[in-house]
Formats: sequence, C-alpha cells, structure tokens
Amino acid sequence: MTSLKRSLVSDPYASNISSKVYVRSTKAGKVQKIVRELYLRQDIPCSSKLCTACLKNAPRDASGILAPFVLSAKPAGTKKYTQGHYLVPDTNALLNALDLFEQKSAFYDVIILQTVLEELRNRSIPLYNRLIGLTKSEEKRFHVFFNDFRLETYVTRGEGVSINDRNDRAVRRAVKWYSEHLAQAVKAADGKSGQVPAVVMLSDDKENLKKAKKDGIDSCSLREYVDGLDDANNLLDMIAVVKEGREIKDTKMVQKVHKDYLTVSKMMTGVKNGTLHQGIFNVTPYNYLVGSIKVPAFDKPLMILGRESMNRAVHGDVVVVEVLTKDQWKEASTKIIEEETINKDENADAEDGEAVVTEREQRALQEEVKRVHSKTSEGRAQPTAKVVGVIKRNWRQCVGHIEESSVSKSGKPQMVFLIPMDKKIPKIRVRTRQAAEIVGKRVLVTIDSWDVDSRYPVGHFVRSLGDVENKAAETEALLLEYDVQYRPFPKAVLDCLPAEGHDWIVPPSTDDPGWQDRRDLRHLQICSIDPIGCQDIDDALHARPLPNGNFEVGVHIADVSHFVKPNSAMDAEASIRGTSVYLVDKRIDMLPMLLGTDLCSLKPYVQRYAFSAIWEITPDAEIVNSEFTKSVIKSREAFSYEQAQLRVDDQSQQDDLTLAIRTLLTLSKKFKQKRMDAGALSLSSPEVKVEMESETSDPIDVKTKKHLDTMSLVEEFMLLANTSVAAKIYSAFPQTAMLRRHGAPPKTNFEELALQLKTKRGLELSVDSSKALADSLDTCIDPNEPFFNTLVRIMATRCMMAAEYFCSGTQAYPEFRHYGLASEIYTHFTSPIRRYADLVAHRQLAAAIDYEPIHAAVRSKGKLEAVCRNINVRHRNAQLAGRASIEYYVGQALKGRIVEEEGFVMKVFSNGFVVFVPRFGIESLIRLRDLAEPEPEGVFDAEEYVLETKGSREIRVELFGKVVVRISDVLEEKTGKRVVKSEFVKSGGKE
Amino acid sequence: MPLDTSTYSLALLRLDGRRWNELRRLTAQISTQVAADGSSYLEMGNTKVMCTVAGPSEAKGAGGVRLGNDRADIRVSISIAGFSGVDRKKSGRNDKRLMEMQHTIASAFAQNLFTKLYPHSTISLSIHVLSQDGSLLAACINACTIALIDAGVPMHDYICACTAGSTSSYSSNDETADPLLDLNTMEEQELPFLTVATMGESDSVSVLIMETKVQVGRLEGMLAVGVDGCKQVRAILDGVARARGTKMLEGSRM
Ligand SMILES: [Zn+2]
Repeated sequence: MTSLKRSLVSDPYASNISSKVYVRSTKAGKVQKIVRELYLRQDIPCSSKLCTACLKNAPRDASGILAPFVLSAKPAGTKKYTQGHYLVPDTNALLNALDLFEQKSAFYDVIILQTVLEELRNRSIPLYNRLIGLTKSEEKRFHVFFNDFRLETYVTRGEGVSINDRNDRAVRRAVKWYSEHLAQAVKAADGKSGQVPAVVMLSDDKENLKKAKKDGIDSCSLREYVDGLDDANNLLDMIAVVKEGREIKDTKMVQKVHKDYLTVSKMMTGVKNGTLHQGIFNVTPYNYLVGSIKVPAFDKPLMILGRESMNRAVHGDVVVVEVLTKDQWKEASTKIIEEETINKDENADAEDGEAVVTEREQRALQEEVKRVHSKTSEGRAQPTAKVVGVIKRNWRQCVGHIEESSVSKSGKPQMVFLIPMDKKIPKIRVRTRQAAEIVGKRVLVTIDSWDVDSRYPVGHFVRSLGDVENKAAETEALLLEYDVQYRPFPKAVLDCLPAEGHDWIVPPSTDDPGWQDRRDLRHLQICSIDPIGCQDIDDALHARPLPNGNFEVGVHIADVSHFVKPNSAMDAEASIRGTSVYLVDKRIDMLPMLLGTDLCSLKPYVQRYAFSAIWEITPDAEIVNSEFTKSVIKSREAFSYEQAQLRVDDQSQQDDLTLAIRTLLTLSKKFKQKRMDAGALSLSSPEVKVEMESETSDPIDVKTKKHLDTMSLVEEFMLLANTSVAAKIYSAFPQTAMLRRHGAPPKTNFEELALQLKTKRGLELSVDSSKALADSLDTCIDPNEPFFNTLVRIMATRCMMAAEYFCSGTQAYPEFRHYGLASEIYTHFTSPIRRYADLVAHRQLAAAIDYEPIHAAVRSKGKLEAVCRNINVRHRNAQLAGRASIEYYVGQALKGRIVEEEGFVMKVFSNGFVVFVPRFGIESLIRLRDLAEPEPEGVFDAEEYVLETKGSREIRVELFGKVVVRISDVLEEKTGKRVVKSEFVKSGGKE
Repeated sequence: MPLDTSTYSLALLRLDGRRWNELRRLTAQISTQVAADGSSYLEMGNTKVMCTVAGPSEAKGAGGVRLGNDRADIRVSISIAGFSGVDRKKSGRNDKRLMEMQHTIASAFAQNLFTKLYPHSTISLSIHVLSQDGSLLAACINACTIALIDAGVPMHDYICACTAGSTSSYSSNDETADPLLDLNTMEEQELPFLTVATMGESDSVSVLIMETKVQVGRLEGMLAVGVDGCKQVRAILDGVARARGTKMLEGSRM
C-alpha cells in the first residue's frame, strides 16, 4: 500500500509554499474556514533604480511589458539621513496623515508594503483609493512592494500572536531586507560600497519603534520625521492628533460624555430582528439639535433629539438607532436653535469634565419639552430615537473658518475650533501651530475621530484656501464643499482628444469612414436656441412642412459619443465628474474645452456631427413616425431665447428659419397642453440671475429670470426627444437601459403643507395622483396676491422626491414613471456635453439602431448601477453648488446696499420665522431676538401658524402673510459667508 | 479580505502570488489503491482528487444478459466529499453540474482510449473529490488519465487539462487584460475562465468548456495559454508515469 502522505523534501516547491488559513463569518452568520495557498517568490523587484539584479528578472505581463522602476537612484536627504532615504510608512502613519504624503514639498520615494496596503484597505476605503492614486502618479515615486509574496520578507503569524504584531513584524522585516538589499545592489554596481540610501520606517506606534531600534532599523515617528524637514511648521499641523495624551488621561479615568456604541454583530442582529433600525442620519436645517432618520419600518422619519441621542453621529453617516418608548415621543420642533448662539465662547482646549449637553443647550431643550407637554394635540407626536452605533461614517474634508474666540495669542500649538460652512456639521477641534495665520482664512480640514470622551469631533488641518470672501478662495471652498472635481484634466485625458485640435472638421469627402451610416442633413434649416452666451451648444432644432400637411421636426444633439469612446481615460474622467457644474462666474466642464465648446458644440455656420431624432408630426401634435440617426448638420444660426422670441414676434420676418421657429412654437404649445392634461406638474423653484460687470466680473445686480415662450419651446422638444429615446433604448435593452425616474412622493410629505393651506386659506391639496396635485395646485390662488401660487408651488416642490438615474433592470416597469413629467418612461439624451447619463444613452441608442456594436461597459448592469449611483450624487451636488454660488453672489451684489422688499412668510417657529423674498430668490430667517433688544416675548399659536410678540416690540406674523423686510448684507459669523440679512419692517405690503 | 483580483495590474501578481502563466503546484501519485485495477491521487494546489478504475470488465445486465456493443462503455461517477468545500454541502446524485462533468469526462476518454479492444465491456472511473479549490474538472480529467495508465488501458495519448482565465471581469472590460493559467476558487468566482483539455503533445483539443462571459477578443489568448498549460501538465504526468514504470521494472528484476 502506497502511502498518500507526500514527502515534502522531494518537492522542489516546498520551501516556497505557505498557506494562509483564516476564519471568516458570513452575513448569514455561518463561520467559514478559508485555506489559501501562497506561492513565495524571489523575483519581486525592489524597484530601486540603483538595483540591476532585480531588473534582470522583473516580471513582465502577457505582452512582455515591464513595469518601470520608480524609486530614484538619488533620493532626497534630510538632516538626519544626509545620504538620501526611502520611506516605509506603517498603516497608522498613513491613516493619521495621508494628507502629508500628498504634499509636493516632501515625501518622495516611498515604499508602500503590501501588508500596509491591505490593512489600510480594511480600515478605510477612501484612504486606500487615495493611496492607490498616489502610487499611480509618476512624480511622487511611490512603489508598492509585495512583501508577503517575497520569500525573504514573508512572515508567518505565530501561535497566539495578534495580527497587528505580525504585521508590524512584517513591516520591520521588509525594511531590514530593503536596506540589506540596497547595500548589496550598490556594492554590485560599483564594486565598493557607495552611497546607500537609508530605508526609514515611519510609525507612530511606540512599541514598534522600540523593536525597530533593537533590530537596528532606521525608524522614526511621523512628528520626529517631519520636524527634520524644511517645511516642518506647515507640515506638522497636518499630522492627526495622535493619541499621545491618551495614556495619561486614561489613568485619570475620564468620564465618558457619550455612550459607547454597540458592537457590529449586536447591531446587525438588532436590525435583523427589528429592534433596531438602520438609516442615514440627517440634521434638520434650522435646528442643529434635532436630527432625523428615515427607516423602512416607520412612515414618518424618526426624530433624534439632542446631542446625547445623536451620540456622535454626523450628518450623512449611516447609523443604527433604537426607537425610544412612546412617552418620549415628541412633536416636531417649532424652534430655531443654532449652535453659534448656544455654545459661544467655549474653550477648545478645555476638555475635562465637560458634559455632552451644555447647560444652555439643556435649557433650550427643556423649554421644548415643556411646550410639548403643555399641549395635548393628539397624534402629532413623532417617534423619537437614539443612535446606538455607526455603520459607516460619511466624513469628508470640510471647509470652514477658525472660530476667532477660540484662538489664544500664544504661538504655541493649540486647539482651535473650526466652524464648517455646512451648518449641519458640528464644530471640529483642530490642533494647529499656525492659529494666528489662519484666522480669517478659508481652511480645509479632515475629521479624524470622535471619541466617547469628547464633545466635538477632532480633525486636522489640511490647507488654507485663502482669505474669507476672496473670490478664488470662496469658489474653491464651494467646489470642495460639494466635492466637485475641478482640477485641470490630466494629460491622459487630453491625449484622447483628436490630434487636429481646433482644426478638426467634418471630413469633406463622404467616403471617409466618419461618414459611414451618417445621414447628410446639411441642407436642413437648423438653428439652436440657448441662453445668452452659451458656448456648449448641445442641441439644435429644425422643422419643415411635408407635402401631406404634416411637419417634419428634428432634434439634433451633439454627437459626443463619437469623440468619447468607452473605457478611454476621457470616458473614465467624465464618468467620475458626471456632470458639468455651472457657477455664477465659472463653469467646471465634464469634458475638455476642445470638445465641449468647439468640436461637439453645434455651433452655427459650421458642419458638425450630430445624433438626430426626427419625427413626422401632425398639426395636432400627434406623432406619426419617429426615427433616430447619426448625421452631419450645419446650424444656420445660434439664437438666444430673447433673440428667437423677438424674431417670432416680429411679423415682418418671413424667412424659412423664422417660419420654422413659429411652427415649432405652435407645436410645442400643443405638446405642453397634452402633458398638462396628462397630469404633468408645473413646479417652481426660485430662480434669479446675477448680473455681472463684464470686465471685472463683479456682481452688480440680481434679476429674477423672465420666462419666455421660446424657453418652453426648446424644453418641450427636449422632453419629446428624451421620452422617445427612452422608449427606444428600453425596447432594445430591457435590462440595462439608462433611464431616469421620479418617484411619486409619499402622501405624508404633503401632510404639513396640506394642513397649512387648509387652516390658513381653506384650500384643499389633493395628492392622490400627479394630475390631482397639478389641478389642486392650480386652485391655490389668492386673487389679491399673484405670487401666492408660486409660493405654494415652491413649497410643494420641496415635498417632492428627487428624480434619479437608474438602470432599467433594477426596477419594475411601473416604477419607471416620471411623476413630475407624468411620463411612463424617461431618460436624459439631450445634453451629452454636460451630463454623463446622456452620453451613456447615446451609446445605447447607437447600438439600438445598429450604428455600432454595443460596448460591454454600457450593457453591464453592475457597472451601470455604479455609474447611476455616482451621477445621482454628482447631479445633486452640482445643483447645490450652483445654488450656493448664486447665494454667495447675491450677497456680494447687495454688499453695502440697503433695500426694502416685500416677502412672504414660509415657515413660522416659536421663536422666529422664515421669509421668502421673490425679488432676490432668497429665504432668510428672522429670529425674535433680531427684532428688538431685549428680545420680545413671543406667543406662538402652532395650530394657526401665527406668531405674536409682546414687550419690547409688538408684531404679528402669520404663515403665507406678506411682510416688508429691509435687506442688507452681513458677514455671518457662523459660516463666514456674506449673506443677505433681512430685518423685519412691518406686516403687509409696501405702499 | 486581503487583496482582490483588481490589484493584479499593480504587481502582476495573482492572489496567491503566482504570475499569469504559472501553474499551481501539481503533484500526482499513481497506484494508490492496490485493490483497484488502476488508481491515482492528484493535487492541483488545494484541489485534491482521487480516482480509481475498475475494468475493463464484462458488462452484465440483469439476468446475466450480455450488454453493450462492439466497444467498451465508459462510466464515470464523481462523488464530492462533504468537507471538500468551504461550506459543508451534501451534493445530490442528480446534481446537474456533476452529471455534466461525468458526461464530459466519459466522452473525452471514449475518444482517447482504444475502446474497440474491449467489446461488451465497461470501464468504470470513480472519482472522489477530497478538496476543492478551483479547476475541478481539469483535476478530475488529469487524475483519470493517470489512473487509466495505471490500469493499463491502451490510449492514444495523455489527456491533460487545465483552466485559463482572464485578469479582468467581463463587465470591467479592461483592454489590457492578461490571460491567466490555472485558476483557484477565488479567481473562478470573479473572473471569466474556461477549461481546456488536449491530447498530450498535440494541440488537438478534446475538451473545451466555458460557462462565463468573456469578450471574444480575449478568447484566443486564453485558449493559447490554456493549451500551453496542458503541455506543462503532460510533462508532469508523464514524469509520474515514467517513475512508476522505472520502479516496476526494477521491482520485477528483483
Ligand atoms: Zn533590487
């Protein structure tokens, strides 16, 4: 009988094979034991340009290409390592100070060990991605060394050794190997021992450093290392507050100001059996002490009241909450509570013995509770909850300014408070030694942690953007705040552009491959209609009568998919950007300028590639026939809305182009009527335009946007194109069509508004369907106040769901519906220059009409879902950024002016109210304490939405009421923004 | 979870430290069960299978009726041990995947063996899977080849099998995807792959199975790497068979 046991000795591989055994538990609660082989090798290169031995047997990919060596032969030296050095950070060093590694002034020639990379990935995916980005940039010279695959540097985990200790040992082993290997390499190169760069381990772990010293390895802590650099003072601030002080404090037994979080498994079990709920934590806009969370188990969002219940959750975090008992349920707050007024003048350094809830906060909350208890309004109480754990932090870099009162004069490192621009994020404690310099600046910080024993999260300083109210700094702050990718396009992207640059033309010969399957539409009278000064012209139109009395109408869209091929670097960049972002004075493009404003843009008088949708339409606006084709067009004219309107109105103009616009206008009105009949909503959002001085681009005035017929003309045909394309790509790709839906809002969203309309005006708001809603919105009129209807529409718009992109396979057909447009199916097709979704739709449509084979990237459901997720976020951020930009410029335009304007009360609190001023499209908060000094006493009737004051000033405001406000600008201390400040003058209209 | 397959491009290393064109450790033993007519034990990495051959023997139907036709019938049965995978699973007799594998193996060997020499008889191959870590079908085929050699059934050439995949998944559609040789479970779960078996030295493919989606442009590279892998497998199996032969000759001399 032959034994099955194999003799390892005879096996040539034996010494090179190790196996990893680890245990993992699955989501279903099963425990699995995973055994994996590991092949250890000796051909993993050190990637130093000093080494020739590694170069000889460096790995090549299947096409024989060798990855170039990155670590420089003459690395920079420091005071301590004059001979030059390579850095090897451990995981904590990266976790604490990745920002440092991204600096331009230092941190070159860095070796990232595989052990560290894996650990980092487990700890923080965003940091991991940033690090991968660094390793790919050529200038920083970061090399990933796969130490766990190299025979000499592989370290086994001994019995009873913690994984951290094992990893630390692996790091030390790798550092040691590197320094020996380099010494050998240098010796081999010039026969004698020349300048061998030091290999320096960076770690903040004392134990690890101690062991490194014992092993004779060059090592130092981050702080120590940075101290030795030229730029030390600036860089030191960027090191996260390492828990140095922690040990001392622990011995003193600090009292915990927050409750500990539950363990992950406890949370998971709780969520599964329904005792706990998971959702995204949101802070309400007017009251920082109230958060809300929407969970599937409850119709209404759960309220989270007070710091204690919020338990260190920050706006946007995914948290797990526990619902409080019914006797702790509260009515929705009617009070404005702002952090700045409650917790002013705190000392950022003081930490001992502080409670989560300051006395003043406590008082503010108590008043709330009293009020709720005194009233026995049945059924208005909302469920409340408290946070018991955080699943995923949504911490990002935030922009803000330093609270001046928290800065002490001394130049020593100190703790200061950073006040984020976003009011929903709490103050952040930051240690800095440049406090004096960064006061009054816009600064970027990162939140690092929020410990149980700290009232505020702790973060570290990243960089200063410039002075508050400096235009460049404010713009950058805004872009960072909304995570807009604004850096110039990298070279790899620009390399994807046509080599001819601006000289690119549609090939003159129709035999050119570019003309293949393209229809020649150059003879058509096509024109574009856009806002004034529009450079990226996505769309153009034409119309002409047919012999049978019908009309041929064409919508021609820039053929971006011809220039942006799937999976190119440009495509990747565009998919990350997702959309162009329009600020008042700046546009951040999704695609490079050359394409956006020239080659793709359907400029007049030149030939351009287009993607055309052409319909035959009866005079009654019935569609007889529709087709899609790639084409070549030549736009005859680029009109602005105003120019087009003038031309239509001027009856003396009888040329073909004008006639075509008139035809389009007539048809568009019929289309619009049909949509309205089907229940499309006409919603409203305040829209204003900032007029700029053309030379200095300083804002000079604010105008509300005027609505022109030609605007709805373009809009109608774009809607038509979008719906037609949606139907077409859905029929071709039922599982993977890129579509856009707008969910029906839950009825509860409108409860408040309906109640307000009923009590104040006796109006019924019906929300059974979009048609019913549209009809009842039409009845919401006040004969004396034409603006009332718009006001209601603005408020109704805020009760809506957000429209979203989705991949058709992820939803059932009835869910495709676009509520606002009352359309069964919808997509975005008409703006591929500035929206990525449209580009995907273009590719799918091109495949649907057999113009080109479908590319795998636009028909993989998983990939499309990821694209949708990203562009939904980007789209929303772009809107918010645009709005914030307008808000900023409105403030700037009003600088130094004082005007009285009419406004309308949108919301009434027990200690203030919100006024909407149509003239500037702004809403501002007026608090009782702003009315007079001392603060007048307010009497709030929550059922009637009336606030009356007594004492120092007597006024009466009610919901929907007209008021006159005096508008001026102030620099808001809380956010450092120049904002419009409204002062209450009187109730009623202006004379 | 440590690195996943998306980091391949960073190091040109696979999850287990291999390069794109390397086989896992492949060891085989021949004549492991003396009682069987032929037997083998084969490991490809952590995939471990045992194969025994019974026959060629006369096929007897119920009541002693001679069954079959002018050539030997090849029957394959695969049983997978409950402990072989990560999750303890009992696989039913009618598992469709197993039935397909059995059929694939039977028809591959029907082409290769000189079945005409054994009319009205049956060759039974029974395969026991002890541990699974990818390339299961390939391992089974290789184990059968060795066991059949041990049983002394004449054949045209070794049938050697291995898997080949591609470094990036179908949807990520990376233009620069490298082909991969001999996939383990982790890789099989994420990446497109095929199983190919060739008749020994020649390039003639006797089994080719692919159940995942892949861009057609990558197929050629995968197949080339797979066929090349089969040749490496043949060299190893041949070594095992020859060593056995040498030993037998030595034994008979004594
Ligand atoms: Zn080397």
